[in-house]
Amino acid sequence: MEQKAKQYEAYLNATHKLGRWLTVLVLVLLLAAPFAIGLYLGAMPNLGAAVKAFLGVGLVYLVSGIVEYLIYVPMLGAGGSYLAFMTGNLINMKIPCAINARDIVGVKSGTAENEIIATLSIATSSLVTILVLAAGVLLMIPLQPVLQSPVLQPAFENVVPALFGAMACKYYRMNRTVALIVLACMSLLFIFVPSLIGSTNMMVIPSGALAIVLAYLAFRRQQKAGGSL
Amino acid sequence: MEVLAQLNGPVMYVICGGIVLLVAVICMVFAVRAYRAGKAIGIDVSKMKRVIIASATFAVLPSVGILLGVIALSGSLGTPWPWLRLSVIGALHYETQVADAAAEAVGMEKLSASAMTASGFSTIALLMSFCIIWGMLLMIINGKAYSTKLVLPKPETVETGGKQKKLNLKAFGDTAMTAMFIGLVSAYIASYIGQIVSANGLFTFTGSWLPLAVACVSALAMAGFLLIKEKAKADWIDSFSIAGSMLIAMGAAIFLGKIG
Repeated sequence: MEQKAKQYEAYLNATHKLGRWLTVLVLVLLLAAPFAIGLYLGAMPNLGAAVKAFLGVGLVYLVSGIVEYLIYVPMLGAGGSYLAFMTGNLINMKIPCAINARDIVGVKSGTAENEIIATLSIATSSLVTILVLAAGVLLMIPLQPVLQSPVLQPAFENVVPALFGAMACKYYRMNRTVALIVLACMSLLFIFVPSLIGSTNMMVIPSGALAIVLAYLAFRRQQKAGGSL
Repeated sequence: MEVLAQLNGPVMYVICGGIVLLVAVICMVFAVRAYRAGKAIGIDVSKMKRVIIASATFAVLPSVGILLGVIALSGSLGTPWPWLRLSVIGALHYETQVADAAAEAVGMEKLSASAMTASGFSTIALLMSFCIIWGMLLMIINGKAYSTKLVLPKPETVETGGKQKKLNLKAFGDTAMTAMFIGLVSAYIASYIGQIVSANGLFTFTGSWLPLAVACVSALAMAGFLLIKEKAKADWIDSFSIAGSMLIAMGAAIFLGKIG
């Protein structure tokens, strides 16, 4: 047991070291790419316009990025987090995918199993996305008429509702009371302040906070009833 | 149009494809390391295989949706750049919004191939890259401290798969994660409800009902899969239930879209 714990700790430390260096590498490449392209096109980025646009739209993503980091790192563990932030598409794919994988094999958060399962899940889903996109880009010309056919548009425009509908069915069963209250509160909020509909990404914060508070109150009540708190 | 031809040129494929390839290799390295570490600490190999299959099937449909994002952006930004952005770090909802804002800032009326200039493109590309770096940056600066503080398991959890004998606040961690996810899902479902009722003005009930209808069909399909799993004790169905539900709901969207 002691040896396994040591092995796991060594794995975690190496994951952080590798994750940090590879993240630095990818980050540098991503930021250098526009300049390399500028060199190729013979026109470097206009930094003044970039700063202006960043102040207009980028600050929202700064806040959203910090919130995503605070919320999702505990869900994904170390390896999963490095990969997820590197590969993106968190809310519409990586998070549901990792949570789904975790539930399928029944692991608890904060365990070594969770760390391994989340990393495997995110690495696999990222590779699938990379492969699908690479194949799609290769087949762009023959595929374009099919994928852009007006008949199929409602299907592809509703990928996210299709994903969250299935996830709702799965997770609402686990805590019906919390789900019902949170859904009702958030629905009222969106109905009375419809301008928030365009910022659903940010509204995950109050919604998640409310769900956690309600779950905590229920948890405390259970603990008191059991006499363990 | 000359700029668009350059944006679809081989040099762009080399720059963008090189980064995509590097990230693919990184994913493989992390997956192999995790698999080996899992075996070493005694995680059931069949469990890990199930996770790989479930995650692969789960990812296919959203990936096709993301591919549509690449196609949508390729008309104005060429194919290689949206391919890179949506394969690495990017997000479907984010790229279009930032590209639009950046186009406006460089003086274009809207994001379009006809108005695209070389300088405009490199500025848009820089902004798209810069605005979304925060998660990566925070992981570099504080990832180890934050994740260790929150999730470093105690040695006994390695052996027992996380069984906690003492009921204390730590036991709440798992409930909190489920609650957080309920909150996330609820925010989206509630936004679909809000959209129907007030998207075009308070209580006008003229907004699109399609997203909510699709979510409901998907939930019903999922309920069907869960029922089959429980009645037939078919645990394997878990690996395909999300992708299957999504496929059914997306199919329904085609028909529902005609009514709406």
